[in-house]
Amino acid sequence: MKRELHITVNGDAHHLLVDERRTLLEVVRDDIGLTGTKNGCGAGECGACTVLLDNEPVNSCLVLAHEADGQAVVTIEGLAKGTVLHPVQEAFVEQGATQCGFCTPGMVISTKALLDRTPDPTREEILKGLRGNLCRCTGYLKIIDAVEAAKCLLREEGAE
Amino acid sequence: MNTCVIGRGLPRIDSVPKVTGEAQYTVDLKMPGMLSGKILRSPQPHALITSIDTSAAKNLAGVQAVITARDVPDGQFSFYAHLADKNILCTTRVRYVGDEVAAVAAIDDDTAEEALSLIKVEYEPLPAVYDVEEAMQPGSPLVHPEKEGNVTWTVQRLFGDPDKAFAECDVVVEGKYVTHQVAHTCMEVSNCIAKWDAKDRLTIWTNTQAPHTQRQEVARVLGISKRNVRVINSYMGGGFGSKLVMDMKLPIAAILSRNTGRPVRIVNTRAEEFTTSKTRYPYTMYLKTGATKDGRIVARDLKLIGDAGAYHDKGPATINFSSMMFGTLYNVPNIRFEGLLVYTNKEMGTAFRGFGNPQVSFATETQLDELAEKLGMDPVELRLKNSNEAGMETSCGADVCGCGMGECITAAADGIGWNEKRGKKDGKTLRGVGLANMVHTGGGGRFYGFNSAEAFVKLSDDGTVTLITSALEMGQGAHTTMAQILAEELGVRLSDINVLSNDTDLTPYDLGSWGSRATFMNGNAVLAAGRDARRVVGEAAAEMLEADVMEIVVEEGKVWVRGSDEKHDLAEIVEHAVNVHGSPLSGTGEFIDTLPEGYTVPTAFAKNIPCFSFGTQAAEVEVDIETGQVHVIRVIAAHETGTTINQTMAEGQIEGAVVQGIGYALVEELVRADGKILNDSFLDYKILNIGDVPEITAVCIESIGTNGPYGAKGIGEPGLVPTAPAIANAVFDAVGVRFYELPMTPERVLKALKESGRSEGGSS
Repeated sequence: MKRELHITVNGDAHHLLVDERRTLLEVVRDDIGLTGTKNGCGAGECGACTVLLDNEPVNSCLVLAHEADGQAVVTIEGLAKGTVLHPVQEAFVEQGATQCGFCTPGMVISTKALLDRTPDPTREEILKGLRGNLCRCTGYLKIIDAVEAAKCLLREEGAE
Repeated sequence: MNTCVIGRGLPRIDSVPKVTGEAQYTVDLKMPGMLSGKILRSPQPHALITSIDTSAAKNLAGVQAVITARDVPDGQFSFYAHLADKNILCTTRVRYVGDEVAAVAAIDDDTAEEALSLIKVEYEPLPAVYDVEEAMQPGSPLVHPEKEGNVTWTVQRLFGDPDKAFAECDVVVEGKYVTHQVAHTCMEVSNCIAKWDAKDRLTIWTNTQAPHTQRQEVARVLGISKRNVRVINSYMGGGFGSKLVMDMKLPIAAILSRNTGRPVRIVNTRAEEFTTSKTRYPYTMYLKTGATKDGRIVARDLKLIGDAGAYHDKGPATINFSSMMFGTLYNVPNIRFEGLLVYTNKEMGTAFRGFGNPQVSFATETQLDELAEKLGMDPVELRLKNSNEAGMETSCGADVCGCGMGECITAAADGIGWNEKRGKKDGKTLRGVGLANMVHTGGGGRFYGFNSAEAFVKLSDDGTVTLITSALEMGQGAHTTMAQILAEELGVRLSDINVLSNDTDLTPYDLGSWGSRATFMNGNAVLAAGRDARRVVGEAAAEMLEADVMEIVVEEGKVWVRGSDEKHDLAEIVEHAVNVHGSPLSGTGEFIDTLPEGYTVPTAFAKNIPCFSFGTQAAEVEVDIETGQVHVIRVIAAHETGTTINQTMAEGQIEGAVVQGIGYALVEELVRADGKILNDSFLDYKILNIGDVPEITAVCIESIGTNGPYGAKGIGEPGLVPTAPAIANAVFDAVGVRFYELPMTPERVLKALKESGRSEGGSS
């Protein structure tokens, strides 16, 4: 059955009529058309669909769209300001942390969530923060480098 | 070499769209009127189809088409046309759990799924066979009853006189080695959209590593002219070999689209990806190695039984390739190789990073350590003693042009602290170090009788440069590599270059991105096209600036006469040529890599590899004898790149491959009960996560002697090849137990420790 859904995605307010069985991932990708968020497994196992829901990282394939009613969602498309990349994105580019790129949106969002919560994470905290995001290409080492680099970029940004 | 762009770890040209979410993958595309296609798959490992009733599915509102074998061309398909063995949809028999039986197209996913549940198929179950050695026994169930047995392909190679040589050896080691099925697990699942246009031309959007050969494959199985097929790919979420040969969802989507007059999309679920998108070939290997007492390997004999699964796919080619790498790793004068490919009632195998080489390397490189032990020789010394050298021709005809094998061995051994750690126990922890060598092609192969590539460069009057190449980008960085080569040759910035490679209507014919061939093959073509474009720019600039063509300098997108301070944008030169002379500027290049003289299959078959890439990995592990867990502490991965085009990307290829290799060594295995895969999700099929990754040092060893671009070799596959034997050899150093089966799961480790009396509470 369809119900009204009010949801803010990357600052845009959306008012939609959505079947109550649909997931947040489906609504973001299919109804709103933001395909940056990826579906890697549909079962909350790979983290490719990670978005921020009221600033908390969630697997959007495991959240019903109506559970997000009245809340604010940030997807990968919501990080850069125009052509200026978010420091986490910049760090992923500079450190060579992307290969095929399919896990990248989830990785970047999870990294942002981690650094928002813990601005100066230890290595253990980095590994814990990204453990839910699978990558088959990179072997993760350059992703760890990117998180370290993003931490420094954010600190510099904060100091300015 | 005076290079501006080559070798530097420049950021990939496609990384910004990937970090912003702008990059559109095939699975992100949408088309007006597009229908959702889904495939009904066999729940039986082996059965006859006695009836199919599609009437209820057809009557469901929103269903646009339901098809079975009756609705599709009856021709069969395989990668090799003469070995065709698979129907688009099963006719009377299903051969594995997952075989395609029927398909539907409906207005949305839910309706398509409901329609599948309404198709009634009755099966008469048949005995099934899952083990290759059982499948070879007389009286075993036949996977393809029209054939005499389940052995479907054999390869035999003989160099020298192994029987005589073994009789004269001082030391001989023999063993049986077993590997199992593992999955590629690309993050983007296999998917496609098919659409026919008003001119009766079929366009397929799909994530593929080889659009041109898949175009031929789709045409062949549908029985239509290939001029009526166009294949387009987009950003691609991984390949690793799984997207080289056509998946049946392509012709199925094409037929559903034909029948409905609408675009039809089919996307694997993650479970379908695990159970039907094909696997690495499991090998059962009987290996024998003989050496003289001073450590010279003089004879090797390998009998290899490859598990095809239910259909051929890339099996024959994989077995052939195994024989080449087996014959080339060391120059052994007497070699016997027998390779058999055997059908079983399982998901079929296909190409997978390393292509039959990781399996064989596990056997050969762990057996080499056993040989070293019997000889009382250090494994590093034994390897150095038998290492190939540049300029050699091996007994199977391999021309070892450039060779950094000795340097790789030394770099890996020194990096891991071999002399300080090997064989030394501190009495507290069960740690050990081990190492393994590898060889792989560094530039594809002339397996089709040829190996060639072409590239085009278009210069725009705004100064941008468009490169049209068939180097497929599946995540490995081929576009950036090609752009770096062009930037170097033409004298422009990386950011000036756009790379187009995604459409068979646009790109020149090409065999695809596999066999670590893109850097070598497409790179050489791009290099030639870049030089051609540079020549044309030089001539145009000389004319415009009234200077000698030899005095024209082009660097970082600026053009000037040597010695002059007046620098022009490349755009001005192109604009002048176009607007004043009506003469657009472009460049073309090709690289044709023909079979060398002396190539014959029986005596010199390894000559069809244009260059070899050697490497050595050393691993340090700690074994927990209470739980059986093997913990990899660090890996030193020294690989020959010839010339490194992009340091960061080369490291990324090696690191990613090592992590896949650790998975192959320790945790990855598709597990079945009654023919059905039990672990068809990331929850149950473990791939390494960020917390599982050890310290990895990727070392790029540069060497000379190959004719790749600037001497570069491919580095896509090698990093996975020696990882498992290096770890197995390290486990032996830690606990004194040898492993003959992968993966070395805690269960297998505990069992082996118990058998050897080394487990906790054991008798040792």
